[in-house]
Amino acid sequence: MGSTPSSALRIRGLSKSYMVGHLRRRPHAALRGLTLDVEQGEVFGYLGPNGSGKTTTLKILMGLVFPDSGEAEILGCPLSDRLWRYRVGYLPEHPYLYDYLTPREYLDYVGRLFGMRADARRRRADALLDRVGLSHARDLALRRFSKGMVQRAGLAQALMNDPEMVFLDEPTSGLDPAGRRLVRDVIVEMKAQGKTVFFSTHILSDAETLCDRVAVLRGGELLATGRLDDILRIDVQHLELLASGLSAEAAEHLPHVRARQSVGERWRLEVEERGLGETIQAITRAGGRVLSVQPIRQSLEEYFLREIGPARAAESGVVD
Amino acid sequence: MRRVGAVAFNTYRETVRERVLYNLVFFAILMTLSGVLLGQLSIRQDEKIIKDIGLASMDLFGTLIAIFIGVGLVNKEIERRSLYPLLAKPLAREEFFVGKFLGLCFTLLVNVAVMTVGLWLTLAATGRRPDPHLLAAIFPIYLGLMLVVALALVFSTLTSPALAAVCTVGVVLVGRFSDVIRSMREVAPGVPRWMPNGLYYLLPNFRNFDFKDRVVYGDPVSAQTLLWVTAYALLYVAVLILGGLAVFRTRDLQ
Repeated sequence: MGSTPSSALRIRGLSKSYMVGHLRRRPHAALRGLTLDVEQGEVFGYLGPNGSGKTTTLKILMGLVFPDSGEAEILGCPLSDRLWRYRVGYLPEHPYLYDYLTPREYLDYVGRLFGMRADARRRRADALLDRVGLSHARDLALRRFSKGMVQRAGLAQALMNDPEMVFLDEPTSGLDPAGRRLVRDVIVEMKAQGKTVFFSTHILSDAETLCDRVAVLRGGELLATGRLDDILRIDVQHLELLASGLSAEAAEHLPHVRARQSVGERWRLEVEERGLGETIQAITRAGGRVLSVQPIRQSLEEYFLREIGPARAAESGVVD
Repeated sequence: MRRVGAVAFNTYRETVRERVLYNLVFFAILMTLSGVLLGQLSIRQDEKIIKDIGLASMDLFGTLIAIFIGVGLVNKEIERRSLYPLLAKPLAREEFFVGKFLGLCFTLLVNVAVMTVGLWLTLAATGRRPDPHLLAAIFPIYLGLMLVVALALVFSTLTSPALAAVCTVGVVLVGRFSDVIRSMREVAPGVPRWMPNGLYYLLPNFRNFDFKDRVVYGDPVSAQTLLWVTAYALLYVAVLILGGLAVFRTRDLQ
């Protein structure tokens, strides 16, 4: 499988089935012929509802489960090669780190697996614990940590070897707003350093904020891949108009407006594209002022609702 | 090898922090009571009984640790998913597996070593000579414990910890009474001959590691005998570890 020099991850036809059921065992396809490319230096979002195959993909890439068919390369190395493991970090979903260790001891253990020298391990561990906001708890046993603190320690272990690429499985799940912000900052920092980030999530706002490109998975199949703007349908029939200085009565009677929402002293209006000029004139006549006009972009949440249906979206826990 | 050492050291650290070595407190109490209560017996009798109790305790406590910690060594890591981030590092499954085995073996070595010192101290405290000849019984006990760890580890890769514990206990018990299996041919003639024969030759014979009586009664154990016992144990351990690895290296960690 050839890979271009800029390719960080290449997946070709990856499939995996698990046997389910107790008495009547039958195969359940978790991943069906996944083909995907991630370029070096990009932040790549791997999206999909629960059970769509995100974690299975990551487990195959990390060598935790074995694919039925297909192949993959990470940083130009086949999965069977050990070399890429020195250059990659991995944070599993809901990580369980040895709770009888302190985070400093855990990071030291991880450093040993990378063959790092003792002084380098100590320096790197302290720097990372500072970075993830755990320096105050560096000598506290992990069993005393809250879920969010364990997640932060998990992020630190994924960065111990200063990786060129990180795989993060639901990195913001279980985190408080400050923790989510921290993860986002780390991802942005890595991108700024030219590193590649591949993260799975069903928290759509994270993907919208951070990703250069995304892949959307449903039922083990790739639904779409590309830039968010390419995936999300742009509604050219309607425009979003932001106006100020309008009374509620005036806003109510504006022509060609299909939806209106009061946002403090401003109004967010969805206007038919063909009647835009008339609406702007009406706003001006009513003493209002147009602040901005832009096309309406479908949100990721709306995309999911359309593609997998409201019932399944709610069931699978897709959140904005 | 460095990575195997890291896993082994961490496994040892885990057992220490999970208070596995607390069994030494029971051993200390047992030894103290033996020393105090048996003082009234005749000189040769109390020495023999103290040695008997000390060696039997090493064997019993060690076997319990080997079984009940051994069955969780790998399985617990899979269930808790604690090995997920580790196997994504440059750590081969083989290194992890062997490291876990060596880590628990080291814990047992420390356990047996401390108990040996405790036994000698008890003998000294009751006016007896700390007998170095006891090592001829203690060393085979330790080899047997290594074999129990290997058994527990292999069963734990095949099934749940509870079932693995039952299977390991079963094999250890059968292995300790392998003479009974051999005599099954005479006791139950209806049983097909290959069955007791197969069990007798396939399962490890733990009686081969039992030199307690010989040593306590002062019978010599030759270096050649110990060498053969060592080879016997290591051969079984190697086969078991390789078998366990064959399963573990291809297992999906779901």
